[in-house]
Amino acid sequence: MTIPREFGRRNVGGTDEARDHAHEDATWRRGDVGVVAGAAPREMMSAAPAPTLISEHSPGNSGPASVATPVDEGQSALPEGEHVVVELQGIRKSFGSVEVLHGVDVTVHAGEHVVIFGPSGSGKSTLLRTINLLEQPDEGSLRVLGVEYGPAPCPKAERGNPLELRRRVGMVFQQFNLFPHLSALENVTLALRRVKRLSRSAADERAAEALESVGLLRWAAHYPSQLSGGQQQRVAIARAVSLDPKVMLFDEPTSALDPELVGEVLGVMRKLAESGMTMVIVTHELNFAREIGDMNVFMEDGEIVEFGPRGFFDECTNARAREFIGSVL
Amino acid sequence: MTATVFDWSIIWQYRGELVGGMATALEVAAVGLLISIVVGLALAVGRMSRRPVSSLAALWINVFRGVPALVSVLWVYFGWSLLLGINLSVFEAGVVALVLLYGAFLAEIFRSALEAIPRGQREAGMAVGLHRARVFVHVVLPQAIKIAIPNVGSMFIGMVKTTSVFSVIGLLEVIHVTENIEATTFQPFVLYTAAAAIYVAIAFLLDFAFRLFERSLSKPATGGIAGWVMARKRQRIALIAARGTAVTGAASVSGQGSAV
Repeated sequence: MTIPREFGRRNVGGTDEARDHAHEDATWRRGDVGVVAGAAPREMMSAAPAPTLISEHSPGNSGPASVATPVDEGQSALPEGEHVVVELQGIRKSFGSVEVLHGVDVTVHAGEHVVIFGPSGSGKSTLLRTINLLEQPDEGSLRVLGVEYGPAPCPKAERGNPLELRRRVGMVFQQFNLFPHLSALENVTLALRRVKRLSRSAADERAAEALESVGLLRWAAHYPSQLSGGQQQRVAIARAVSLDPKVMLFDEPTSALDPELVGEVLGVMRKLAESGMTMVIVTHELNFAREIGDMNVFMEDGEIVEFGPRGFFDECTNARAREFIGSVL
Repeated sequence: MTATVFDWSIIWQYRGELVGGMATALEVAAVGLLISIVVGLALAVGRMSRRPVSSLAALWINVFRGVPALVSVLWVYFGWSLLLGINLSVFEAGVVALVLLYGAFLAEIFRSALEAIPRGQREAGMAVGLHRARVFVHVVLPQAIKIAIPNVGSMFIGMVKTTSVFSVIGLLEVIHVTENIEATTFQPFVLYTAAAAIYVAIAFLLDFAFRLFERSLSKPATGGIAGWVMARKRQRIALIAARGTAVTGAASVSGQGSAV
């Protein structure tokens, strides 16, 4: 199945047509989705596949559902017309007097793998963290699965509860952030029991499945301090995936790893991607990004400078993006 | 005359009273510790929250860290009775005085322990959808307790020693017992040496106990007690782990992970 992909940006003096569609935050309303650059009308998206930016390289979401991650029902469970999983519009965020996001727009569709890259300090991580409200945006709209969570003008009653949001969005951190006082299994079962309210045996069962899917069930009784970085990160992925998220956020998941451990984590992520999981990945692993990114976003100085579909790393024309890609690849 | 100056046998003779005094001191200190932990934790959380609350907590902490134990217990025992009509037993007054003083000290210990937990831990807890209170209870607190344990142990030893001051209100703890015996035997040196020995013995004992507790909280837990307490859980998880497929390529990397 091919899903139209769209990406917007604003305040960028480029040649892209996105500029012409700069959003008027003030007039933006609930349920009004199709304002992003090149967006297809909403009805079209669920009906026939609209012409897409990457039609030649359809990522094959309908592909082998062979992977035994407990997340496969994610997409089909979406109500009709809800193929947009995450939609950020005009997101602004300041730390003190420094604005780190100058009004960013991102749309993520079900099954899509979005890669965000760029130099450090460009706001990638902050952007990612606003998606599950670990950072509270100062301005703009954050819609996840059709519910508004952002500070955009919206009646309080209609705004979603951040707890609900985080229950649908999984996150993997650069520093793993496993709970050091709990075994690998308990790291996974904690939220299954306290958030999903599963019984102990059901939670154990689910956690075992998740750990098996990252190849670490054997290590279930080990504590994080007894695991390598790569293993810790895989447990962290299992912890997030076990909760059945509709989208997974990865914040530089391999940056804290020794080079020889990067592969095992990327392998798990690849498997997850193949299973159809919607993913947003901030990474410096551009080879990996080139391989799995359905949509690639280059950020710099708190703005989306350039974006493109599959093939972006070889075809993009933006000088700054080219320079950055060249310096990393 | 010189031969009979130090009569060490009276220690044995009055062993019942001395041990009784020790028990009383430990009791007051233990009850005081339990309540102080609750009060201290509340103060620490208060100190770390928003403005009016944090200021009040800071005020409490700074006031009671500055009050000497003697003043505190006299104030509680006689002052509360006069002003508020609250007549506490000497035991209760001792406990309250300890809580006022050591609640403040423990608050600072807990605050630094809570602040030592990396921000990423809270974030990870929130990211899996846990409510803030649950993040605190299940993620932050267990780790903070481990950090705080050695200092709490020192505080407990301090509390036991502080009970010696409560002889002024007539609490029958070690010093008060010693004074009573001395009044009839005229053996101050012998008796106060015995009292000192009792305090030192308690300090060693408590230090040992808290070390054991601390070790049992380290992950993976070490020490027989922890192994015994956690045996069932360990077994349950080991059983699940055993179902795992054999080592998958990259998974064997760590090498440090010893068998369960």
